[in-house]
Amino acid sequence: MDNLLAVLALVGAATLVGLAYRFLHGRGHSVKSKKQIDLERLRPIRNGQVSLALGAEATLLQFSTSYCGQCPSVRRQLVALDQELGTVHHLEVDITDRLDVAAHFGINQTPTVFLLNAKGQLVYRVGGIPNLAKLKVELEKLGVK
Amino acid sequence: MSQLIDPRAPRVGAAVTSAFAILGFADAYTSFGITSQFLAVLLFVLFVWSVFFPNTHPYKKLFQAIKPRLGEPKELEDARPPRFAQQVGLGFATLGIVGLVLSSQVVVAIAFAFIFIAAFLNAFFNFCLGCQMYLLLKRVGLLRS
Repeated sequence: MDNLLAVLALVGAATLVGLAYRFLHGRGHSVKSKKQIDLERLRPIRNGQVSLALGAEATLLQFSTSYCGQCPSVRRQLVALDQELGTVHHLEVDITDRLDVAAHFGINQTPTVFLLNAKGQLVYRVGGIPNLAKLKVELEKLGVK
Repeated sequence: MSQLIDPRAPRVGAAVTSAFAILGFADAYTSFGITSQFLAVLLFVLFVWSVFFPNTHPYKKLFQAIKPRLGEPKELEDARPPRFAQQVGLGFATLGIVGLVLSSQVVVAIAFAFIFIAAFLNAFFNFCLGCQMYLLLKRVGLLRS
């Protein structure tokens, strides 16, 4: 009986952690400070080339690593948004060998996606696989239709 | 470019590992008999196997057997984070062996509990603790490229 209770407690605890992860993962949060992002230093890639151009309305800045399993699929989704909307640019920074960048922005997991406004200020960030519906709501707040 | 793997393969292995670990935990928690000793050794052997000789691992054979039922994967992912996760697992399995040598019921039970939680989250929530820790540990300098 004792071990049944212990097993149930352990399975229950693990399930709670899993549910919390599911609930929190990819939710993202608004950034109050509106930190200006220096693309000059990050040298992000767009369509395979270094691009420092912000989207006219918003920019999705994705941080990836070469060992990140989910990064390519997130890239595809966000590139599709870029192509569909035109006024939103998708830029990507590979931080595999740039741990200073990860440390500077407090990035603990990849992908991490920053949403920048038209001026290039950080307004929203998501760690993990972004929830597209939520991301679109945030884009709408920046005037993207 | 490093090796790419089907992301479901480690999860199938993790499901089996979590079953062994919860059985081991149940026994270690109460009677601490031959079952938990056998399972601690079994998990240790399986983790050593997957860290050093992943290509001949029984989990790989198991996955290949059920793969036709699952169909083709949507994405492949980098093998490094899951491999790293196996090393973390080996760390806890080694702790279990240390517990056996010291005949410490608490140490063995803790080792089983950690292995269970990590494997369970990986298998059923697609949440790979070791993978999540990868960038974090690299950042704090515990891991070298």
